[in-house]
Amino acid sequence: MPTPTAQQPSPVGPATGSPAAQAAAAAVQALARAARSFVLYDAGNEVIRQLLDTWRVKSRAALDAHGELPLDVRPFEIVLRGERVYEDQDREKSMAFKLFRDGVRRLTLQPEAGWEELLELLRIVALRYTVVRQQEEDAVTLLRAARLRGVKLVAVEGLAPDEERPEPEPPGEREQAGAQAPEGWDTPLPRLPAPSPLAWRPVAPEALEAIRAEESGAGAARGALALARELLVEAVRGQWPRPYAELVQFFAELRDAFLADGQLAELRQLVEIIGQAGLAEVRDHLLSGLGDARTLDLVLDGLPADAAELPADLMALAPLLGLGAAVDRLAAETGEARRALLLRLVLARLPREADAVLKRLPGLEPGLTRALAQGLVARAPERALEVARLLLQQRDTALRAEGLEALALAPGEVPVAPVAALLQDPAEAIRLKAAEVLGRRGDETAVQALTAALEGAERSPREVEALGQALAEVAPIPASRLFAAWLHPRGRFLVGLTAQQKRLQWAAVAGLAAVPGAEAERQLQALAAEATDELRRHCLAAMARRRKGPGRG
Amino acid sequence: MDELGQAQQSLARTLGRARAGEDRELSQRVRENGEALAQMLAGLLKMTRVHAADNRAFDAPVAECARALAALVDLVGVVHLAAVDAQAFVNEMRLRAEGRPGIHDLGAELRKHNVGGLLFHGPLAPGQVRALVAAFAQPAAEPAPRTALRERLQAEGLAAVELQGIHRFRTSENPETGQVDAAGALERAGAQAAAAAAALASGRAFNPLPLRRTVAMLLEAGPHSPGLWDTWLTGPARGSHAVTVALHALLLGQAAGLPSAVQQDLGVAALVHDAGYASLGGGAELAGPDGLARHPGEGARVLLRQRGFSDSKLRRLRGVLEHHRGQSEPRGPPSALGAILRIAEDYATFERVHGQRVSRADVLGAMARAAGTHYHPALVQLAVNALGAFPPGTLLELADGRRARSAAPVRSRETFATPLARLCDAATGLPDGGPLDLAAGPAVRRALPG
Repeated sequence: MPTPTAQQPSPVGPATGSPAAQAAAAAVQALARAARSFVLYDAGNEVIRQLLDTWRVKSRAALDAHGELPLDVRPFEIVLRGERVYEDQDREKSMAFKLFRDGVRRLTLQPEAGWEELLELLRIVALRYTVVRQQEEDAVTLLRAARLRGVKLVAVEGLAPDEERPEPEPPGEREQAGAQAPEGWDTPLPRLPAPSPLAWRPVAPEALEAIRAEESGAGAARGALALARELLVEAVRGQWPRPYAELVQFFAELRDAFLADGQLAELRQLVEIIGQAGLAEVRDHLLSGLGDARTLDLVLDGLPADAAELPADLMALAPLLGLGAAVDRLAAETGEARRALLLRLVLARLPREADAVLKRLPGLEPGLTRALAQGLVARAPERALEVARLLLQQRDTALRAEGLEALALAPGEVPVAPVAALLQDPAEAIRLKAAEVLGRRGDETAVQALTAALEGAERSPREVEALGQALAEVAPIPASRLFAAWLHPRGRFLVGLTAQQKRLQWAAVAGLAAVPGAEAERQLQALAAEATDELRRHCLAAMARRRKGPGRG
Repeated sequence: MDELGQAQQSLARTLGRARAGEDRELSQRVRENGEALAQMLAGLLKMTRVHAADNRAFDAPVAECARALAALVDLVGVVHLAAVDAQAFVNEMRLRAEGRPGIHDLGAELRKHNVGGLLFHGPLAPGQVRALVAAFAQPAAEPAPRTALRERLQAEGLAAVELQGIHRFRTSENPETGQVDAAGALERAGAQAAAAAAALASGRAFNPLPLRRTVAMLLEAGPHSPGLWDTWLTGPARGSHAVTVALHALLLGQAAGLPSAVQQDLGVAALVHDAGYASLGGGAELAGPDGLARHPGEGARVLLRQRGFSDSKLRRLRGVLEHHRGQSEPRGPPSALGAILRIAEDYATFERVHGQRVSRADVLGAMARAAGTHYHPALVQLAVNALGAFPPGTLLELADGRRARSAAPVRSRETFATPLARLCDAATGLPDGGPLDLAAGPAVRRALPG
């Protein structure tokens, strides 16, 4: 672990000077270092702890030894009674500059300042260092709100015009047309009863306490959720411009705030509120905008490693669990149970987020790709063709086979040419599957490819059967004519049938099993009567399949 | 857990919430896009010396400039590009000028028009970037080049671009006194509220900081301070509905003992509570029930443009959204801030609409009787206790025949019906005399309308 000083150049303070200045310098520099350290480290880091301790010790020591410390803030330095105790010329890093820019001109640390107040001062300075979207508060508003008794503030408006040719803002510039409320605004007023005489009456402390409680802790979270609900209602009622960009942004910020506080229950309620939005389109848009890796990590961290299911009370969070992040975690996960859980989470997002899953398929390991592809085809069958196309481009044989299976299940017309091309695939499993798919989903345009496959290179009997059967299924009439020719080939004298003739004959027998009509049956019977051994058994098996009825294999 | 551990935990929570909506790479992305924006803009301004602004040579840098700006707007909302000396900053983040000479030169290019910085309230299309560059390419129009440039931008429809003057950091005030200029803050509040409403109406994001600083000063002075109320009574701030509502709301918030930060939020919400009217166009058709029903939601919608999460933003949104909600409505009562604003809003509106026929005391008395239905019972009683038998501004007929206006809220229970006042001209009712402590007499004969 690097030491803080190794990574953070020290701002300059006096090595010499009065003891008070030296003590103040040590304290101020400790404050600056601690505040800036939150830019570099997580708040829980040990380095932060050391720096907090240094600020506590040095500030206490300076106050105890020297009493009140009036610290004048200048653009790049801080001065104690005329002695410089801090200097940093870097506008971005200088604590003096940040305070000065906000209008702080003097901070006086009082001897009675306790650790709570000194910590609050640190919190304020740290906020000015760490938060990028600094539009809500500055050091002056934060210090005034904190009302620190032990830290006195003198502040001015930070900026003044500095122009050689001063130009007043034109009065009309701000008052644009249409920027005013109409006459008679805020009316009609409610009807009120006749006035009662005014009298001072005590207000019950518990009533005031209830009002104050609204703005703290659980009250604030409840308020945030109530606001989310109201804004949704208002967006629909007021016909806010779609697609509610401001609302999506706000909900994302709210989600992040709940995440920062680990408030999963509140996050769940937020999802439920959005889930109750009247329009499905609105609901889906809002929810898909909220998916986030941090939510997923927070939920997973809270579950036992062997949990294979998301607990029922967390199911509402499923839409927020960041599909991309879930796939990432799934790809890296080795634990079986966690993998199963993540897979369920991803599949639960289908078919709504099929696009996102499809996009990720090519880069994943085969097993995961296969599982996701199966899920996609099952839950989004209309996307099966796209799944198949993606899988058919993969090197892994099992994936290409899975792609063909997806194709077989895909609704609509199946593209024949790419499947027919797979009849020449190096892997027999793929060729078999391609033949099967063509048989189920192909048409007459596949005849030529099937025939070419049979007439080409040597193939196993099983593949030849599949090709023959496919041929019969895609085009029974042309196939019957081919089969009739292939059943009784003429062998050459003394040599007999060629390998190709035997293959075609074998295919014809298998194909006739799928050709309807008595003629096919008669042809099989005739061949079985004259054939011997394997061919005879093949014919009998084909006849048996015919009797069993339609179906492959 | 020890003291330091608790401190770490508390700081982690604070910073975590403050960073909500940000990510770890945010500052890096802001810096990179800021550098691209500044570099491209400075380059484009230089190129105008060689090429006309419609030259194709501008296409690529214009597109890059528009892209970088759009990315920044997406990241931080309002983009503030400022040039100080030879350095440039985007939203207070220094841009690295090494290897980017254009960033060094940006300040000089802007200063020709007396401009110190640019605020971008939204993204610009490439055509708009070109129009911005073309406007800067014109010779500086003396004697007020920034004003002339602003007019050019407005004519080009570049409402999302706001020009800023050249500023230095103020050093002249005497830090020994630490006095807060509350009267000045009250005067400023009205202008700031109007400016915020106009900015929101023109599609810009809300920038609460100037309003918050003003409210913080009002709170520092104390919402009950006689000087503050005297300024309100005798100055132009009384004509500002937003300021009147804010002042009464702050008084009530303090009486309720709300934490200081929440009081700041209340004040900011009060100053923009009717921003929805301006955003809806402020047309005559909005007078009456339609505008009354629509403006809180519209106000919340335009305030949502502000990026970044904070509890303050939540409170403000609820306050604005619920500031016309009654206590017994079926959808539930308003938030604490909404309930306070409801009281301050109705009180100010009753006075504005019926003030010539009904005294302020009677308005408050009628509102007190509507506690529990329209108004929060505890808060409306607090309002009575804080404003008194003769709320500030009430025209009084004194026992000696003179007229005065109540000039301050209640100082103590004992002086509930004997406020500080200012003598008035009998004919006009306008304060024209010195302060009067009615606890020392004369007695108040009656409260009058007007």
